[in-house]
Amino acid sequence: MGHKNPWNQALKNAALALYALFALFPLFWMLLISFKHDREMFNTIFVFHPTLDNYRVLFSSGEYIGYFLNNVYVSVGAVLLSLVVGVPAAYALARFDFKGKENLAFTFLSFRFAPEMLIILPLFLIYQKIGLYDTPFGLIWVYQLISLPFIIWILRGYFEDISPEIEHAGRVDGYSWWRVFLKINMPLIRPGMVAAALLSFIFVWNNFTFALLLAGQDVVTSTVASLKYISSDTVHYGQMAAAVTISALPEVILALLIQKHLVRGLSMGAVKG
Amino acid sequence: MADIALKQVTKKFKHNVALNAVSIDIKDKEFYVIFGPAGAGKTTLLNTIAGIVVPEEGVVTMNGKVVNSLEPEDRNVAMVFENYALYPHLTVYDNMASPLRSPKYRQPESKIREEVHRVAKILRIDWLLQRLPSELSNGQRQRVSLGRALVRNPEVFLMDEPLTHLDAKLRHQMRAEFKEMQANLNTTTIYVTHDYMEALSLGDRIAVLNEGRIEQIGTPDDIYYRPATEFVAQAFGEPEINILTADVVNKGGSMHMNLLGNSDHFPVPAQVKGILEDSGLNAVRVGFRPKDIKYSFSDDSASSLRAAVYSIEPLGSKAILTVHVDGRLIRLIAAADLEAKPDQPIYLKFNVDEAIFFDPETKRFIARAGKKGGRSVG
Repeated sequence: MGHKNPWNQALKNAALALYALFALFPLFWMLLISFKHDREMFNTIFVFHPTLDNYRVLFSSGEYIGYFLNNVYVSVGAVLLSLVVGVPAAYALARFDFKGKENLAFTFLSFRFAPEMLIILPLFLIYQKIGLYDTPFGLIWVYQLISLPFIIWILRGYFEDISPEIEHAGRVDGYSWWRVFLKINMPLIRPGMVAAALLSFIFVWNNFTFALLLAGQDVVTSTVASLKYISSDTVHYGQMAAAVTISALPEVILALLIQKHLVRGLSMGAVKG
Repeated sequence: MADIALKQVTKKFKHNVALNAVSIDIKDKEFYVIFGPAGAGKTTLLNTIAGIVVPEEGVVTMNGKVVNSLEPEDRNVAMVFENYALYPHLTVYDNMASPLRSPKYRQPESKIREEVHRVAKILRIDWLLQRLPSELSNGQRQRVSLGRALVRNPEVFLMDEPLTHLDAKLRHQMRAEFKEMQANLNTTTIYVTHDYMEALSLGDRIAVLNEGRIEQIGTPDDIYYRPATEFVAQAFGEPEINILTADVVNKGGSMHMNLLGNSDHFPVPAQVKGILEDSGLNAVRVGFRPKDIKYSFSDDSASSLRAAVYSIEPLGSKAILTVHVDGRLIRLIAAADLEAKPDQPIYLKFNVDEAIFFDPETKRFIARAGKKGGRSVG
């Protein structure tokens, strides 16, 4: 029992630490160079004179704030729309039986299979024709291809885990169908909803292809905006790093805040077995 | 407090007919048991009364009013589900309080506190009020589910196999408590079970359901002593009734049955003889309850039939003795301390006065000599 385990544990910890280092180092590096002057970029690694110049330049023109807010509008809008549409869809797939149900469910999932590049050209032409090119709504709509599948598939599983008897009990207790949905179903799928919404948010926030090719002049998201730092003669690494750091901040903060809602096993004990 | 009636109710799920032209009539304040094996349609029947399921054909009435299109929340029924259906995110207190907080049956919080504590005390779960369902044992969950129904004052209580998932000892205990509760409930109650002991002990009347059809409706005595069909006879009683095919033989003025290769030992009782003659049947199916067959190891062959021991199952206070004769197995109840070897000869005496006679074609009840059990309905 005793003699092997401490070594095993130390080995496991070491392996995890190594992996953590490997995964987190690029982020750490990025943070580091956002505080470096351009002239010091290729010199020393950790010892340098930190500066806030990069951030100052970023905020001085006010442009970057605009890009950041654009990204916020479009991402939040996309996730909200996905929730409004996806939650009832997931419920229908979990509870009702109709012709072509599994085909439909698989179709939703298949949106995630195709690489964005595959459909970008026809979509570009269509968007031009119907006037959705370079509009926030256009982006929100096309982002559904990214965010909807997560919401539907994760929530379908959660709905299926809730025994229909619980809903029946609610009806018999005196609650209408709608109240049962709000007071009983929603709290029980909340962990799933939070997890799916966060995942979807991360993917649409980071999206580059659609934002680049289906928008670009009026609606510029922060992912696309970082291209601007690659100008013809030089690459402003410091400013790009600063832009990217700020861009990544919402995702990180959200993930940390939402942790307490990701509670497992809420349904245990409700139904026998 | 309500009369409930179902008239010719039919419910199909895709191609499966769950209920087939079911008609039952439940009187106000009656404790009505719906008995049937798994898949008979009992839960569907209960769901039809609760409004969770709408029948394709037929009419459901409460107090004479047709309620087919009435939503469950408007019907004022309280239901205890087979799998408890407790709200997992609410404490025991909130689970029991939930019907009293609904828009339909709302009560002020002070009244809610009073009611929940009162019912929790009766069910002995008052020390669990702050726990979540996941932190309770099965028996405790069952009581919470029951409590959630008992805080209400509904037209009818619907109970779907509430004791099924409890261990045997707890089940017997709860059955006794239910009996006591039933007397105090003073409300129409419909109780679904597949356990014949619960049906016989708790019910004012029992409806026997099989594959979506009603086999018989009657008091426990009716069902046990005058079962309408062989199915009902076999469903009630442990060990199962022994039903044998017999030819009717007329021997010098009295009627006998040619049973198990022997006709001398089985005279047809006088009360039954007339009915058999009228029906003109040459063969009958006759059922003997295990307790109506006596055994002995000494050859008293004047009225005994010789058989051979097959197996003995000791059950504590009694034993089930299985014997084989004429190529088939007969079950009897025996003393707990009986000792016998397989194939040992044994002599049986059948009490034909308590035997139940069935029509061999329709499997329906024809007659019985004994007095117990009134007229059955259906």
